[in-house]
Amino acid sequence: MTRVRVTAPRSAPRPAGESREAAEESEVGQVFVRSLIRSQLRLALVVAIGFMLILSAFPLLLAAVPGLAETRIAGVPFDWILLGAGIYPVIGLSAWLFYRTAARNEARYRDLAGDT
Amino acid sequence: MALVVVSLATAAIGFYGLRISRTTGDFYVASRTVRPWWNASAIGGEYLSAASFLGVAGLILLSGTDALWFPVGYTAGYLMLLLFVAAPLRRSGAYTIPDFTEARLDSRAVRRVTSVVVVVVGWLYIVPQLHGAALTIRITTGLPAWVGSAAVVAVVCLTVVAGGMRSITFVQAFQFWLKLTAIAVPVLFIVFTLAGDGSAAVAPAVVNPTGLAPAGPYQNISLLVALLFGTLGLPHVLVRFYTNPDGHSARRTTLIVLGLLSVFYLFPTAYGLVGRMFAPELARSGQADAVVLLLPGQLIGGTAGDLLSALVVAGAFAAFLSTTSGLVVSLAGVISQDVLGGGVRGFRLAAVVSAVVPLGFAVMTDSLALAGSVGLVFAFTASTVCPVLLLGIWWRGLTDAGAIAGMVTGAVLCGGAMVWGTVLGAAGTPFWLAQPAAWTVPAAFAVTVLVSWGTKNRIPLTMARVMTRLHTPERPLVTER
Repeated sequence: MTRVRVTAPRSAPRPAGESREAAEESEVGQVFVRSLIRSQLRLALVVAIGFMLILSAFPLLLAAVPGLAETRIAGVPFDWILLGAGIYPVIGLSAWLFYRTAARNEARYRDLAGDT
Repeated sequence: MALVVVSLATAAIGFYGLRISRTTGDFYVASRTVRPWWNASAIGGEYLSAASFLGVAGLILLSGTDALWFPVGYTAGYLMLLLFVAAPLRRSGAYTIPDFTEARLDSRAVRRVTSVVVVVVGWLYIVPQLHGAALTIRITTGLPAWVGSAAVVAVVCLTVVAGGMRSITFVQAFQFWLKLTAIAVPVLFIVFTLAGDGSAAVAPAVVNPTGLAPAGPYQNISLLVALLFGTLGLPHVLVRFYTNPDGHSARRTTLIVLGLLSVFYLFPTAYGLVGRMFAPELARSGQADAVVLLLPGQLIGGTAGDLLSALVVAGAFAAFLSTTSGLVVSLAGVISQDVLGGGVRGFRLAAVVSAVVPLGFAVMTDSLALAGSVGLVFAFTASTVCPVLLLGIWWRGLTDAGAIAGMVTGAVLCGGAMVWGTVLGAAGTPFWLAQPAAWTVPAAFAVTVLVSWGTKNRIPLTMARVMTRLHTPERPLVTER
């Protein structure tokens, strides 16, 4: 059985690409790549752990403050508002922070690796 | 009536897409030129399944605030996807998860194991969609349940075979907005009507209509582990990321998806709450999963109630159709490349196979709580695909032997727990077996890491180059920062 790998057509050749590939495989290039990977991983872990801490703080808060869960805002109990709606802004904010910082890490790498 | 309209609209958009898609590349990933907003709507459309549309509200009606972790976990799974997977996976340039693992580990054997796991995950995930369709048809028309499942499979096969992925992107994007409208309008109508009438709640929200014991911390944590890490490995979610032009736009798309999902999940939550306050008898009569379908008719009634019910049914079918077709496309991609040697004809044949097998399974089995059974599929994905994906992207030490050992461990432990749980029945299953993710996911990770450590000499020579490609920004420079 012959196996055919289907791929999208490669886009136009880029002369600058070749030299960068060589630069990335050099020892110095690999140092830059490793530091980029490390900073992206650190960023992802910090955001993930921070989010999980906030997430676990929500039920702890409800348990710690007696009567808070039964407090009603416009007829809806507070625990429903907190868990049913209040977590989404936290998710959105974490995602936005990560998106911004990850792009900045990549810009810094691009400067270091000498892309034009 | 409503479902005929939805199916026709889906098929029409699918055939329209047929004229645009020409090459095999178009078929698989829409040539990677889909705009972020389209793509984000499409991802949302594909992701919001029967479990989200019917199951979440049903489970909230049954178990109250404990079930609120489901929509939170479904959304936060995308946060994990954004953090750990979105950009590197797009940069890998692979079409499917088996493509990725093969490229990363330079091993055919890993590819085969991954393919098997992906196909199992896909089939497991299609079955609850078909159960949802069966339930909807039974409740709304009184026809035999299998008609619903068969109708969904027929429409999906037709659309996918005709148009491939390009048309599916348009279809999925359309389905997201349809679903959002279909779930938001009725519940807003209900809330305003009830507020206008000043009718008092039959029972307070804290009432527990079924007398189920509240879930302990273990169940909630295990559920969150499954949902957070299971989303990473869902085949239909991943294949969608390859349609982004580069890693940066893959991140932006995920950001938009998170916004769309956050808005959507407010409404099933509202349904569950309204159901708990005004119609707790639905939970007692064992029709919890149908609460989204029945509530408008029950609380509003008359012509308005009928129209709203029709809208909800349309949305529900959009959910079954879009998730099923997304899964079928990604499974067909895997099966056609691994078994049928690629090409458009192989893709079409594979699409039919990947839709018909779960249909047989769905007709033979009975529906459980939709959100619960989907939660188990997430647990399975989190224990099999997720460790290989995460470690493959971030850890240089992963080897093919480690990947295979991890996937097999996860599949055996989690699959075993699922089968054993089914044998024991819902009442007799101990809690750690009903929610296995909290121990199967760490076990799969541990085995993957330990075996990789033991086989250090098998780290592929291409590793450094692949890692560079995964993590460095694309060359044709992303000018917008």
